[in-house]
Amino acid sequence: MKTTNPQHPLLALLSIPAFLFLVIPTAIVVPVALNDSRYITFPPEGISFAAVAGFFADRAWTSALTASLQSAAIAVVIGVLLGATAAIGLHGRKFPGQPAVVGLILAPMIVPTVVLALAFYQFFISIGMVGSIVPIGLAHAVIATPYVYLTTRASLAGLNPALVRSAQSLGAGPLSVLRHVYLPIILPGLISGALFAFSVSIDETVMSLFMQSPGATTLPVKMFTDIQFNLTPKIAVSSALLVSVATIGLLLQVLFVLKRRSSTRMLPLAVSAQT
Amino acid sequence: MTASVISAESIPGTGRAARGAIELRQVSKHYGDVVAVDELDLTVQPGEFVTLLGPSGSGKTTTMMMVAGFEDHSAGTVLIDGKPVDSLPPRDRNLGVVFQNYALFPHMSALENVEFALRMRKVPREERRQRAEEALDRVGLGKMGGRKPRQLSGGQQQRVALARALVFNPAALLLDEPMAALDKRLREQMQEEIKTLQKGLGISVLFVTHDQDEAMAMSDRIVVMRDGKIVQSGAPEEVYNHPLTDWVASFLGDTNLIPCTIVERNGEEAVVDLGGLGLAKVRDRGASGENYAVSIRPEHLKFRTRASAGNGCAATLVSSTNLGATVRHRLTAGGHELQLRELSSDRGAGIRPDEELWVGWDADKAQLLVLES
Repeated sequence: MKTTNPQHPLLALLSIPAFLFLVIPTAIVVPVALNDSRYITFPPEGISFAAVAGFFADRAWTSALTASLQSAAIAVVIGVLLGATAAIGLHGRKFPGQPAVVGLILAPMIVPTVVLALAFYQFFISIGMVGSIVPIGLAHAVIATPYVYLTTRASLAGLNPALVRSAQSLGAGPLSVLRHVYLPIILPGLISGALFAFSVSIDETVMSLFMQSPGATTLPVKMFTDIQFNLTPKIAVSSALLVSVATIGLLLQVLFVLKRRSSTRMLPLAVSAQT
Repeated sequence: MTASVISAESIPGTGRAARGAIELRQVSKHYGDVVAVDELDLTVQPGEFVTLLGPSGSGKTTTMMMVAGFEDHSAGTVLIDGKPVDSLPPRDRNLGVVFQNYALFPHMSALENVEFALRMRKVPREERRQRAEEALDRVGLGKMGGRKPRQLSGGQQQRVALARALVFNPAALLLDEPMAALDKRLREQMQEEIKTLQKGLGISVLFVTHDQDEAMAMSDRIVVMRDGKIVQSGAPEEVYNHPLTDWVASFLGDTNLIPCTIVERNGEEAVVDLGGLGLAKVRDRGASGENYAVSIRPEHLKFRTRASAGNGCAATLVSSTNLGATVRHRLTAGGHELQLRELSSDRGAGIRPDEELWVGWDADKAQLLVLES
């Protein structure tokens, strides 16, 4: 396939160092995690899975991983429900105060996390909801919702409003309209929104740090507290884990997009073959 | 595809009793201070094909959307088969709607699109598949059921949309500029097919268009709308030949408008003074206003000899333009500019080179109307 815009060869040359600059610090945790040493060192002294095994044998670390996954699950479920319904509800609707509502939904992206962390900390203490992963998950849901809202809203931009009306005229109630009209169109946005929500939660440290308790220490918090006095390769292992999770998420999304695109690109061929 | 795909013989249930009366009583729609539809009274008889014709902003689409239930009306009552439906949501009104760009569900095949209404009505799988296939057959797309909308041409999508709107035996069919996206030839073909389908099913249709040719070709009755009001309503020929105002006359096609003063009104006929063109007998539908004019369609003006009877006057030929099937002549007569249109094959038939040029018209083809502008 030919690109319509031929690139200058120098551009490729220049983009290589930029690319390396962006990727190497992230990628470097992988060899460090597989390092055959009791400390974090680079370059690695030899390849070993000892640190990885040690990570999964250590209850403190595995429970941190579990806590992270639990908070991410809460954030994804609530974030998707709130973000998607907000996007659908506000779609194509104009009313006084609508910009304010949108601003409110997006606010968690702009308000400094540390401010949110303090606010949530005080709020959950005052209602006596402490010592579990739930408040952390709920706080993560709040910062994940705007991402789902934005990706869903973007995919709704392609919705022909007459589709909703035609479904209604054919006898569809609100739930059928949601299922047969909205869902197929917002699905790509929903999936990327869910992935965003997941990675936002997995990565979030400040709020998790404020609200941590013995039973509710997420992976980034565990890493942060350990790195100050206990510099083990397990920290590198958890970093490598987070990087892999993010990479897998990205790959899944790319695969999904490619699959959609190829199924639409096949169509003109199918038509010409039949006529 | 030149032959009509849809034929009355292929329609099961042909000749069943007409159904689907739609009635609007004093229906209004306000958007804030703006009146989009103003105390509209409209009736579609069972089996009747009624077209709402008007320019954009005339309230025709808003009217249809209120019938379908997508817009709430500010005042008045909408009745379907005699029952008020004001509080019914669109899904309970049992009306088939075809939208401007068809609004087919892009992720469903043609067959699934047609099945949709039956699925919503909890029709068993076997039966709904069969009925959907029959409906697709009816519009000549029996073999295309597996295709997605984007694999279908504009005309095929249009047919799927029709099948989808008809498959659940709706009380009536609402068509919102359904041919706007098609090219001219396909549009004419679809006009005939829709008309055939409608006649065969005996279903009432409320049709919205801004295209006067389309309205003329398809309607049992044309309702001309302007600024949220009905300005004239009647059979296509009636509205075309006997417009009540200069606006209706011009909206429905080219016309010669000659300002006049009334000398005598006598039921269906009036005698008017056309200024430089003298006195003439014209048709009168009783329209009343401040200023009057006479409308004569260009094709109703004829070259004549002075001796022949009827209305007429001396004229001077300014220019002639060949338009293919017809020729358009521009003339001046009695201080007025006139247009005369004749078939190319008849070109100049009435002209006698040795005599003064004379144009005339039949009294029943000249319509007295109110001059609004």
